[in-house]
Amino acid sequence: MTSDRTGDVPVIELRHVDKHFGDLHVLRDINLAVARGEVLVVIGPSGSGKSTLCRTINRLETIDSGEVLIEGKPLPLEGRELAAMRAELGMVFQSFNLFAHKTILENVTLGPVDVLGMDKAEARARAMELLERVGVAEQADKVPAQLSGGQQQRVAIARSLAMHPKAMLFDEPTSALDPEMINEVLDVMVELARGGMTMVVVTHEMSFARRVADRVVFMADGQIVEEGAPDAFFDHPRTQRARDFLDSIRGH
Amino acid sequence: MSAPARPTSIRDALYEAPGPRTRRLMVAGTVVTGILVIIGIGLVIRQFYVTGQLAPRYWTFLAQPTTWRYLLQGFRGTVSVALTAGVLSLLLGLVLMLGRTSGIRPLSALCRVVTDFFRGVPSLLLIYFFFLAVPQYGIRLSSFWMITLPVTLAASGVLAEVLRAGVNAVPRGQVEAALSLGMRRGRIMFKIVLPQAVRFVIPSLISQLVVVVKDTTVAYVVSYPDLMQNARVLITNYDALVSMYFTVAIVYILLNYAINKLSGFVAERMGVKIIR
Repeated sequence: MTSDRTGDVPVIELRHVDKHFGDLHVLRDINLAVARGEVLVVIGPSGSGKSTLCRTINRLETIDSGEVLIEGKPLPLEGRELAAMRAELGMVFQSFNLFAHKTILENVTLGPVDVLGMDKAEARARAMELLERVGVAEQADKVPAQLSGGQQQRVAIARSLAMHPKAMLFDEPTSALDPEMINEVLDVMVELARGGMTMVVVTHEMSFARRVADRVVFMADGQIVEEGAPDAFFDHPRTQRARDFLDSIRGH
Repeated sequence: MSAPARPTSIRDALYEAPGPRTRRLMVAGTVVTGILVIIGIGLVIRQFYVTGQLAPRYWTFLAQPTTWRYLLQGFRGTVSVALTAGVLSLLLGLVLMLGRTSGIRPLSALCRVVTDFFRGVPSLLLIYFFFLAVPQYGIRLSSFWMITLPVTLAASGVLAEVLRAGVNAVPRGQVEAALSLGMRRGRIMFKIVLPQAVRFVIPSLISQLVVVVKDTTVAYVVSYPDLMQNARVLITNYDALVSMYFTVAIVYILLNYAINKLSGFVAERMGVKIIR
């Protein structure tokens, strides 16, 4: 799949973004644009700032300087406007973060009903369709604690999709999963990508990156060190930093 | 006594299963303690007998329906003060907690001071305040409110802290997930955080209700007819101090035991759903 960049404004754009955690410079002059329908995979060693980068896009992390633009408009800094913008960006977390006191179905209908003001019956019908799509429809009346990690993460994806997002952010979506459950989640993500969803995916799943990404961004020490098409990046990394990283994960 | 297959209670989870020597020690300990308790009870009964407390004149009044009707009246008084104070203190505690966690500095500081004040001041002192000081400013309160308000205030400080502990126990990810859906802070608090926080602290909330029930016993200060006050009246009438207090103590124990049972029931009904 090739990215569609027909002079469109990028769905997500970061300009000269900088951020510190105390003395730690976690993001250094990050410039990045994600086109409509593009799947951008962010990889890098732990502590490289890739999760932080992902979380700045919907302002779960604030930034010190620079700009975050969503469809060309600056991301609002607070209040109703920020909430409205967040509602248009789906987010999937490493630890699923399903609402522990609500059923699976309620988890998926909460956003549409509470934030978008959708009719309850309609929201339920749509939620069931989405749960069907990610393969957990039979679990609709259970609570999150009764589901496996893989099932919970697929519900989390359905919960985000229910909001009709312009783009989806995945912050290490498979890192907390048992190995046998990783693929069931990745399969859902592959299907999303094929369906033309704009996605930013922070992950350690290199085979997923190679198969699905339109572009790979390699980060280290808060900087984007290298970016490019997945085959080019994985087969012929240009920087020593990227070569070292790829060697270290291919060690076996 | 067989070792449990898997942890079924906190005790089982915290301590390793006893070995044979420990088990023998436990049996010996049980026997010795049992004997000591029986001796203790025997001594108390003997002392009662020696001092004439077992004489029929101290106990026969318990057979009279008027006694029980009067005690029941007092019991109703206790329950209505405890329920009112329980509900009001929960609301006030909630408000104090919300204020303290609001992120608005002056409000937060104010709520913190108020919370710590009511938590730190003995409820009897608050009762004297409402009984002796407030009327001097021309505010006339019924004896019901003179006992209910101070008990409410004393409990609200503790409840604010209990609720805050519950809110802090809700994982940060729950809030982040709600934010990412586009929910606003206030709605997140009421729809996501509080429902979970309350479930975490139900046992503590209910124990606080027990404290409220016990606090109501100082109602005699303001002559409000609660169980304790009515018992005192009966004591004067029948001149039966020990037997009367003994009876009333049992009523209080049963009431609080019922509340604790309710706590277990509610926690099981509501809490089991969010085991992680």
